Amino acid sequence: MSNGQVSDRIVLDNVSRFYGEVLGVNRVTLSVPPGITSLVGPNGSGKTTLMNLITGLVRPTRGSIQVLGISPSDPEKLFRVCAYATQFDSFPRGMTGFQFIYSYLRLSGMSHDDCQRTTAFAIGRVNLGDAAHRKIAGYSKGMRQRIKLAQAIAHDPRVLVLDEPLNGLDPLVRAETIALFREFAAEGRHVIVSSHILHEVDTISDQVILLSNGYVVAEGQIRGVREEMSEHPMQVIIRCTRASVLASRVFEQDHVVEVRLHADGGGLLVKTRDADRFYRALNHLALDGVGIESVAPADDNVNSLYEYLIGGEESTR
Amino acid sequence: MAVYKRTYAAYEGSLTPTWSRFLILPRYSFARLWQSKFLVMFFMACFFYPLGCVGYIYLANNLSVLSSFGIPVGNFIKVEPSLFLYFCWVQAAFTYLLTAFVGPSLVSPDLVNGAMPLYLCRPFSRAEYIAGKMSVLVFLLSLVTWVPGLILFAIQGSLAGWEWTKANYWIAGSLFVGLMVWIVMLSLLALALSAWIKWKIAAGGLVLGVFFAGAGFGTALNNVMRTQYGTLLNLTEVMFTVWSKLFRWPSDTGISVEASWICIGVVCAICLWLLIRRVRPFEVVK
Amino acid sequence: MISQWLSQIGLVIRLEMRKTFFSRRGLWVYLLALAPVLIFLGHSLSEISNRKERQAMNAAHPVSTETLRSIQRGATLEEVVEKVGQPFAKMEFHRPRASFDIYQYTDGESVYVFGFQNDRLENIDRRDRDTIPKDSLIFASVFQFFYLRLAIFFGCVGVFTNLFRGEMLDKSLHFYLLTPIRREILTVGKFLAGLIATVTIFCTSTFLQLAALSLHFTGSEISEYLAGPGWGHVASYLGVTAAACLGYGSIFLAAGLLFKNPIIPAATVLVWEGMNMFLPAALKKVSVIFYLQSLSPVVAPPDATLPAFQRLLLTSAEPVSGAWAVLGLITLTVVVLAVAARKARKLEINYSTD
Repeated sequence: MSNGQVSDRIVLDNVSRFYGEVLGVNRVTLSVPPGITSLVGPNGSGKTTLMNLITGLVRPTRGSIQVLGISPSDPEKLFRVCAYATQFDSFPRGMTGFQFIYSYLRLSGMSHDDCQRTTAFAIGRVNLGDAAHRKIAGYSKGMRQRIKLAQAIAHDPRVLVLDEPLNGLDPLVRAETIALFREFAAEGRHVIVSSHILHEVDTISDQVILLSNGYVVAEGQIRGVREEMSEHPMQVIIRCTRASVLASRVFEQDHVVEVRLHADGGGLLVKTRDADRFYRALNHLALDGVGIESVAPADDNVNSLYEYLIGGEESTR
Repeated sequence: MAVYKRTYAAYEGSLTPTWSRFLILPRYSFARLWQSKFLVMFFMACFFYPLGCVGYIYLANNLSVLSSFGIPVGNFIKVEPSLFLYFCWVQAAFTYLLTAFVGPSLVSPDLVNGAMPLYLCRPFSRAEYIAGKMSVLVFLLSLVTWVPGLILFAIQGSLAGWEWTKANYWIAGSLFVGLMVWIVMLSLLALALSAWIKWKIAAGGLVLGVFFAGAGFGTALNNVMRTQYGTLLNLTEVMFTVWSKLFRWPSDTGISVEASWICIGVVCAICLWLLIRRVRPFEVVK
Repeated sequence: MISQWLSQIGLVIRLEMRKTFFSRRGLWVYLLALAPVLIFLGHSLSEISNRKERQAMNAAHPVSTETLRSIQRGATLEEVVEKVGQPFAKMEFHRPRASFDIYQYTDGESVYVFGFQNDRLENIDRRDRDTIPKDSLIFASVFQFFYLRLAIFFGCVGVFTNLFRGEMLDKSLHFYLLTPIRREILTVGKFLAGLIATVTIFCTSTFLQLAALSLHFTGSEISEYLAGPGWGHVASYLGVTAAACLGYGSIFLAAGLLFKNPIIPAATVLVWEGMNMFLPAALKKVSVIFYLQSLSPVVAPPDATLPAFQRLLLTSAEPVSGAWAVLGLITLTVVVLAVAARKARKLEINYSTD
């Protein structure tokens, strides 16, 4: 990898973080390219710790981190190119939305006029213009999320780290926010979002990082990750008329590892290690008059992959 | 939609009796308090002075031990009511430091985290809540004040004999009453300040401030205005006046016992009023 | 780079001012600072009222200072009354073997209390009106034993621990840590904000205390005092107040960073500073109050309310010169701030455990 590539990435090299005897994240090695990257995992899996490590709010017990070639222990340089909207739903007392963004923006060295203009622009981008001069304490949950987002994008960062940014947003604002992420990513910037709601990130992410118990269990593009899991049996849902007969016939195939009948007796879920052979076999079975109504892959999304990687009992929705 | 009406069954087991329900709160508070190493160490340090007193009482009743070491034994080493009076004085200093550390963490987190409606939506009254929280302090402070005080009295009684005990039985009563009054005032003060301030660190500072700054302000008032009434702002002096009376020992605080009792009553009443205003089953959102 | 740092310090100060000066939470600091002003004001108002009363009494029962001072012990009641006339107040007590009479006179300034036993003058008690030297000793006592040790001390605990620990409890410190500012600069900015607030509040109070105290003196007395050591005293007291904010402020800023519960170090420092008068000379110097007392223009008499056995434990140490005291305080502040900045550099945001 050339230096130019390295300075365009967020690189974590064998990073571990322990809170006393409690594991935050362990032996994380990542090289995150520009685009929308989703950190996905259940509560306590280490998503926030990873984000805090990237932005220097916590320090690694072991390993090193570089954000576009800058160490997180150098906030003076880092936060000229990086922004982080944390999960904390708290704000400095007594400030209006405008004052909140303006005050902290001034610390980046901009002039008063530039700050005024930039603040107004950022607030406009999240559609909070009407509430800009109201106290944040009176904002709704969704408005507080948006003002945090506005503060994060105000200084036009190249790296945007957002912890659960879609929490508390209504569908319309959610769509607008996702559009904003896409706009940022299209400009070659990093947008790192965390979520435990899988379908939310499934559709917007260029790549996902799956975390469980402080470990990275998978990373890459959703389909790419899926393909690399050669050991992961593919799941197929079949709706048919004689499900129990089909189940017994399917189970005779050596690549089928599990068959589950649907509760209504009108279908089954098949897990197979060789999808191609399974589909070929299914054609033969259909010809034998089983009465197949539909065949659909059940797991070409983050959820099924996640369920496979970390176990059903720990999976999210 | 899932309807659980038919499967729902209310709890039918035995309930904690109403009279002892408030004791549920200290059970959890103590579990949390003892997790602090500092508290455990400080709590142990509170027993150094009583241990010293035990040694003194032993020597006072066994002067031959001192003589055997060739130490001249005069009339100066003897057990008088003042020993118990100064025992109260020293232990009181430990107790207000202990209260400043423990007291604010009892109520303010419940108020800050909005836990009050959760407590009070159950068959649990405000009075029970206050009694429960107060019992934590009363129990903790009793362990370092009148309990060792009565043990000292018992040791002295056993060493000095029945005649001494019969003649001085009132000391035991004074120890218990005097220190319980102190404990109740201190507990109410700590709970009221933590309920009022909500920020437990500031409340701890304020508990210290009430005693130290109150004493300083009182002294300043006395100096400038050439009066003695400033001493009423010094709660330790006020209490010392009451203790002096209870231990039948002359007081040099310059304020009367009656004024001291009134002062204690006023402080307790203000604290109760503050507590009742703050401990309520709803929150005012501004 | 330095100009950028200075500009960032200025911006942090501006942001912090709102919290330190104008918050409801900080109202008690103002009350603490104003408390001694109220005492001195009360004293002056009562002195003014007393003087008016004395002058009215003197007008009703005129007698000159010289005549009153000429009265000697041993004189009979008749001789006294013949010389100075009837008193403005008198009391009589009768006991089986003696009778007592107390006669009070005033020349408009002082009150003379003559105590007679069996019609013979046994005791003369002259209560002069307060003078500036007398009041300056009282001020020195209040300033050193109450104002420095307690009011400024607790004020600094409240303001300076709140700068970092308060924001951690409010879960809003991370907003600073996510801006392009060095943590050391943030520490200095916050410290200066706290210092500006406390110096303004407490120095104003010091000045108002002096003003309130001097309210009952005549214009000529005040002019005479100011022409002498007066302005020097005022400047010294203001300087000592600022130095106290500097010393205690740095300690409590660091305590707020280093300890989850800053009350423990605050109580420890309070006890240590309180014990200062009983400590050996070498240990006395390891405290803020020692340097502050060295800088104070008037040496305060020992606290008269101390119990006798505690007075026996009092120790004295030669006060250091003004320059050394200032140097000592500045060194202490710089060292403590360096420790605080180092801690801030390694500070992590983990609100859940705070």
